[in-house]
Amino acid sequence: MLKLEKLNKSFGEHHALVDITTTFPEHQTTVILGPSGSGKSTLLRSLNLLERPESGRYFFDDDVFDFAKGISVKDTLNIRKRTEMVFQGYNLFPHLTVLKNIMEGPIQVLRRPKAEVEKDAHALLKKVGLADKADVYPNQLSGGQAQRVAIARSLAMQPKYILLDEPTSALDPELELEVLKVLKQISTEKRSMIIVTHNMAFAREVADKIIFVEDGHILFDGSNEDFFKTENKRIADFISAMTFANI
Amino acid sequence: MWDIIVNATPQLVVAGLKYTIPISIVSFLLGLILALITALIRLSSKKGPFRILKAIFRFYVWLFRSTPLLVQLFIVYFGLPYLKLTFIAPDGIKLTPLVAGIITFSLNTGAYCSETIRASILSIPKGQWEAAYSIGMTRSQALSRIILPQAVRVSLPPLANSFIGLVKDTSLAASITIVEMFEVSQQIAAENYQPLVMYCLVAALYAVACSLLSWLQGYLEKVTSRYVTNAD
Repeated sequence: MLKLEKLNKSFGEHHALVDITTTFPEHQTTVILGPSGSGKSTLLRSLNLLERPESGRYFFDDDVFDFAKGISVKDTLNIRKRTEMVFQGYNLFPHLTVLKNIMEGPIQVLRRPKAEVEKDAHALLKKVGLADKADVYPNQLSGGQAQRVAIARSLAMQPKYILLDEPTSALDPELELEVLKVLKQISTEKRSMIIVTHNMAFAREVADKIIFVEDGHILFDGSNEDFFKTENKRIADFISAMTFANI
Repeated sequence: MWDIIVNATPQLVVAGLKYTIPISIVSFLLGLILALITALIRLSSKKGPFRILKAIFRFYVWLFRSTPLLVQLFIVYFGLPYLKLTFIAPDGIKLTPLVAGIITFSLNTGAYCSETIRASILSIPKGQWEAAYSIGMTRSQALSRIILPQAVRVSLPPLANSFIGLVKDTSLAASITIVEMFEVSQQIAAENYQPLVMYCLVAALYAVACSLLSWLQGYLEKVTSRYVTNAD
């Protein structure tokens, strides 16, 4: 179980996250929604400590971390081993082949034996439908393929939580579909996922839980069903804009 | 003219093999190590006493980029013997010409190359660091496994420039009595009164050495760029 309590993060004058308190249940898919600049990416990145909130408490299973006191390098590495980020821009390692991209973390960080890691990496590539791309470099992949490799790379670390930061925003609809299919499959495997997305149809399809963020505040925190029948005017407007309901 | 060339070339080549090339290679390797250390210290975000170290290395880069190499050679070889430090060197720092030359060339190259390496590390997108951190890497793992291998490719052409520059600059070592290629050409010219032929000959030999280096650069660029240019 992941839990945040009174999380605050500022960028200079801009208060990006204000007293955020929420939970991210295990074995469920949590979708974070909200307009651009609302703080949803910052929230997600805080979970992987790519952003450092100034205050707030972070509960990870039995561990408690206090941002106000700072988090040690050891704790940081520990948290990052248990959470994996999938980025909007893929961020594959361009100097490594697809297979090596996936093997890098398990070998260098988890120190697992190479033969075993390689076998797992091939299995993961098969899972994301790219078994034939093991030996190519990332620059020879389409966006959709690159993102699927990035997902395989994150799965290879066997994290407790997979964090996805607008994983399909850079893709055209057909390539987006390739990626969403893979994510949909992962979500049915009851992995713990947290996804920031603008794709409402997808959110509706995969989310167990939805968090709606605006101006650094949580406006909605509840189940998928409740979100789409909310009475909240602002959220209803957002949903209708995102689904082009009143074009 | 041909017999002049035929007679002088072997002597020049020997001087090149004995001094010019070894001085260039040793100085460049030492300079590269120094450059990497300098770049990493200057890029570090560590605070506190570390800032003094950063200031020292910034001063070093400024000093060697702001003064002529020839003057640096003179200070180290002719000047330091007059630097009398109690306890450390009460009689002044006396270096052999070769040591003085290698120290100066290394420091000079290190200052220039540190800027090349620093820029090449900075040119790697922030997302690469984040992806490395996300899979749980430490800063040094991210640097050595992910960032530096990519930075090498970026820094290769400017580093090759520095190396080629250094090979030619070693001719300045003649002024601190090292009998390298250019010094030998001067000595022969003084004997046979053929400065035009002798200096053109030595220029040609430098050109041959530098052309070989350019070729090596091209080869290394090709090897390190395998992942950027599609292997169709």
